[in-house]
Amino acid sequence: MDINKTWQGVLDQVKTWARVNSPWAIHYNSGSCNGCDIEILATLTPRYDAERLGVKLEGSPRHADVLICTGPVTRQSRERLIRIYDQMPEPKFVIAVGACALSGGAFQGCYNIMGGIDEVIPVDVFVPGCPPRPEAIIDGVVKLLGQLQGGVSAEPVTLTEESVPAPQGVKPGLA
Amino acid sequence: MNTLVAFLTMVIFPGGLFLLFVGMMYEWLDRKLVARFQNRIGPRWFQPIADNVKLLAKEEVLPEGVHPQLFYVLPVIALSGALTAALYVPMFGFEPATSFNGDLIATIYLLSLLTLSMGLAGANTLDRYSLVGATRTLTQLFSYEAPFLLALLGPALIAESWQIGEINDYARDHWFILTQPIGFVVALIGLMGKLELPPFDAPEAETEIVAGAMTEYSGRGLALFHLGKGVELVIGLSLVAAFYLGGLANPIDFVVKTVLLLGFLASVQALMTRLRIDQTVGLWWRYGALLVLTQYLVVIIVEGTIA
Repeated sequence: MDINKTWQGVLDQVKTWARVNSPWAIHYNSGSCNGCDIEILATLTPRYDAERLGVKLEGSPRHADVLICTGPVTRQSRERLIRIYDQMPEPKFVIAVGACALSGGAFQGCYNIMGGIDEVIPVDVFVPGCPPRPEAIIDGVVKLLGQLQGGVSAEPVTLTEESVPAPQGVKPGLA
Repeated sequence: MNTLVAFLTMVIFPGGLFLLFVGMMYEWLDRKLVARFQNRIGPRWFQPIADNVKLLAKEEVLPEGVHPQLFYVLPVIALSGALTAALYVPMFGFEPATSFNGDLIATIYLLSLLTLSMGLAGANTLDRYSLVGATRTLTQLFSYEAPFLLALLGPALIAESWQIGEINDYARDHWFILTQPIGFVVALIGLMGKLELPPFDAPEAETEIVAGAMTEYSGRGLALFHLGKGVELVIGLSLVAAFYLGGLANPIDFVVKTVLLLGFLASVQALMTRLRIDQTVGLWWRYGALLVLTQYLVVIIVEGTIA
């Protein structure tokens, strides 16, 4: 029993170490003006070289650990954002980048906007700025990794129609 | 005692753990070299280890519409094929763990298992990106395989043996890169096609088809395919080094020659842009295969005149 516990502890430590050192990211724009997206791409250029931290941009949600979201969630992209989130395997994390992703920003109150990313999917780290500089985005990633290392385990979240607010005046599931 | 030795051969050296580790180290070296050529710092030395451990500890999503058994078994077949091939290769400069007459052909087909499994894995899912990736993977398999095989058979013709160990011994005092330079280049480029490295990465072009045949794979399956590729990189490099660069006599020999070849591969990766799949096929069949066949003709004529 005791040996089992130690073994489990060591295994958990190895898993956490691997997760902290290899965050593969996928990038989704749910209605941004592209300013934040350009900054995210700048983060991946040789000047900032995110690969030295193990960050790698993946095309497929199935390969990714971190979903980097930009922009307010428009009603059209809400379903797609949820679908991408559901396609990612556990454990998964979300970073919301930019003022619009935090609260809707300049688009707050627009008829076609759901609000920030956290209105639709659970968010782990918020990176403010309009747009945030690459340093700020790297800082956001490092904060997320610090959270992981601190043993804040990500609990699996299952999205249901009830937990995700539907756009006003539109029936859930038909948006 | 024999069972113990056989077990160690399969699990530790040169079969299992050792080869996985060396595969990951070579993958890191490749990524680091490309990063340095691009003026970047590049990944840390344990990066592939962290990547693979993370993937192994992740959830494996079973997509809708796939054949479940096939989905789970294909990555295992791919990795085991690559690991089995290592038994016939003079890994790390030591004698091959086992050999029989004609093991060169068996090794090349074991190495193809990885590509074949990847193609089947892509065709197994309903995802359109996977299907396009699978088509391209299999198209590329049919284009590079023949020139690669022909290029490796060149030294075998001269050494008059189809046994990798014997060719390796013969190559120690016959540097085939001098007598068969075309074969060397074709074998090296064929290896790049086999591993789907740039400029031959059309099957997994992330700017067009997400991740090719691997799009629907997550967690363990993806990790096993990654490990298989790393193992194949080491085996391919040691095959080319053993055949063309004066054989592999000892561990230092092995490291120097394979790392030299890897440096060459990395510089080509950093220099070239991606070829379209039809350009890849054209390159192999129009130039690769024909050039190697021409060299065969020269080799046979020269051999006949001397003998």
